[in-house]
Amino acid sequence: MAQPVPGDLSPVEAQLLRLADDEYVLAERYTEWQIYAPTPEADLALANIAQDEFGHARLWFDLLQDEFGYEEADLLWERDPGNFLHSPLVELETPDGDWADTVVRSYLYDVAERLRLDALADSSFDPLADRVRKVQSEEGYHREHAQSWLDRLTGGGGDAHQRVQSAVDRLFPHALTLFAPTANEDEIVAAGVRTRSLADVRADWLDEVVQYLESLDVVVPDPSAVTRPDEVGRDGSHTGDWAALHEEFTATYRELGFDDPATLRSENA
Amino acid sequence: MIWEVFRQEEAGDRHTHCGNVHAPDREMALLFAQIQHGRRMQTNSLWVAPSDEIGEVDADETEFGGTTDKSYRWAITYNQIDASFAEEVAESEAEQEEAAEKRGDV
Amino acid sequence: MDIDDVKARAGPREFSPSDDLPLEYREAATRMLEFHANSEVMGGYLDKEFTRMAPSLDRKLACTAKCQDEIGHAQLLYRAAETLGVKTREEMLADLTNGEGKFLNCFHYPVDSWYEAPMIDFFVDGAAMRRQATLKDTSWEPYAHAMDKVCFEEGFHVKHGEDILRELMTSSKANQERTQEVFEEWWPRMLQFFGPTNDESTHNDFAQQVGLKTVSNDELRNSFLNMYMPKAEKYGLEIPEYPRIFERDDGTMAVREDDLDWDEFWTIAKNDFEGSHEQIGSRRRRQEAVEWVRESMTDWETAGADSPQAAD
Repeated sequence: MAQPVPGDLSPVEAQLLRLADDEYVLAERYTEWQIYAPTPEADLALANIAQDEFGHARLWFDLLQDEFGYEEADLLWERDPGNFLHSPLVELETPDGDWADTVVRSYLYDVAERLRLDALADSSFDPLADRVRKVQSEEGYHREHAQSWLDRLTGGGGDAHQRVQSAVDRLFPHALTLFAPTANEDEIVAAGVRTRSLADVRADWLDEVVQYLESLDVVVPDPSAVTRPDEVGRDGSHTGDWAALHEEFTATYRELGFDDPATLRSENA
Repeated sequence: MIWEVFRQEEAGDRHTHCGNVHAPDREMALLFAQIQHGRRMQTNSLWVAPSDEIGEVDADETEFGGTTDKSYRWAITYNQIDASFAEEVAESEAEQEEAAEKRGDV
Repeated sequence: MDIDDVKARAGPREFSPSDDLPLEYREAATRMLEFHANSEVMGGYLDKEFTRMAPSLDRKLACTAKCQDEIGHAQLLYRAAETLGVKTREEMLADLTNGEGKFLNCFHYPVDSWYEAPMIDFFVDGAAMRRQATLKDTSWEPYAHAMDKVCFEEGFHVKHGEDILRELMTSSKANQERTQEVFEEWWPRMLQFFGPTNDESTHNDFAQQVGLKTVSNDELRNSFLNMYMPKAEKYGLEIPEYPRIFERDDGTMAVREDDLDWDEFWTIAKNDFEGSHEQIGSRRRRQEAVEWVRESMTDWETAGADSPQAAD
């Protein structure tokens, strides 16, 4: 089976890849914090969130395997980096020690994810709709976690507040790419794979994040005024950060010359 | 600050102490406790309480149950009465016998 | 209680925070627990590298769950140490940062390939699990409780480690050869995991007398050899000729101590090895980078305590 190529996908494939790739890459960035997090408790919480996100990616990759004949190798280990459809928001490197970046990124992503999942809960593609609830229930903790950190980091003022502001300034333009369309966008909506347009979801997301962040005295850039990054993600265009990450996580697979990635599931999985 | 964590395995069970978490306040303590103490063991509910708020009195400081004879408050003392007429009375007696063994009174 | 009482009463889970224990006991227990907790953290520094390298999604998940467990165990162990009233978690973590805190020899060697994953995740973890199982009978009750939870969680670590080894040793010749090379590099370090035989270790005797340690270094190494040499051989690994391992008259396995590099071991024990500096330095930089978060949380906590709505 060949690998997925943007521009040559069915609407369902495109939707599933957006989901899977976002979750997978975000999880990779989260795991970078393991052992390095500010406190053991913070470490464990983020590690759990990372496992949830990998688990969601796996759910969507499994669906792509079951319904479209892909293998894990086609989707992760042997897929060209330019054929991944995640938003650059999730691929950006986290600056050393920048916990603010991670909680801001997490918050912006998690609100969008909730809105996305709500719009997929009644998908015309049953296998997708069936899996949404499982994912939604784990995502609740993620949002609560991000907001709890943001409330507290901005609550004290000073240095921590400034770091949150800087993270918002830097990440916000990339967060907008969460709502960029793939080539299949019209069909995705027309076929009812997703029951809301990206534009509508984006509008709700904007209202919510602006209101919340402003309540913390954080200034949100005006979407119409920000410099849009060249890399959009949904069309396979990505930053140098992704190239480096992709190289790193596929290196061992290539070095070992494996072609059948190991699975570890119980019979009840 | 340190928060002690108590886990309830299944609905209806008592909460039992299972460890602690460091957190700046109760909300964060609950978020952290879910992961540190609820991610692998069967858990229906978790409580957190500030470690400083937990008082303790132990066997070195007090005689739990007293030292003078109080056998009148144990069913097993009433050995001229047959409890088998009522299941619940017999059961209470059996449980008290077990507790007495644990206390080292038999 | 004086130290003679302690020695007389020493037994599994005998002492708890409600006991009034002599300083000597409390310091010895703190030392052991601190070493153990520090090792979980510093082992984590090696293990986290494998998460990014993992050549399948499920292996990646297993790796990240293992790292999570390690930090969880560190948390439990620092807490069990704190209950002795000698050092706070903050002090122990500060000592680990400044190079005073001691930790397992194996974690003074940085890793850089997946071939090293089974060395840490199967052999070193296996040795640790063996030791942890015996510590369920330690005399300091909070330590034993921590071991209950640790032993419960660690089973999958060792099994995953073995599975990684199995996969490598049943794949290409190149992989098998590389794994063998890496095994030869790690084998002496694994044997030194248990420390020198009994008469060399300073604190050993006392720890055994007061029930903190229930099994000698030698017995632990013997168990390890009996369990893990057959496993290594099962997967086609050759046990290196040196250090020479022989069977004593009583059937237990022994290692020719002179064949091992104890100079390196004692340099490591002083945190003075090249790898020690690298690992400790790496951690120091990471910790400094997030100090601002801890400060922010402390500020928040203090502000909360001062405000009228302290409870919520």
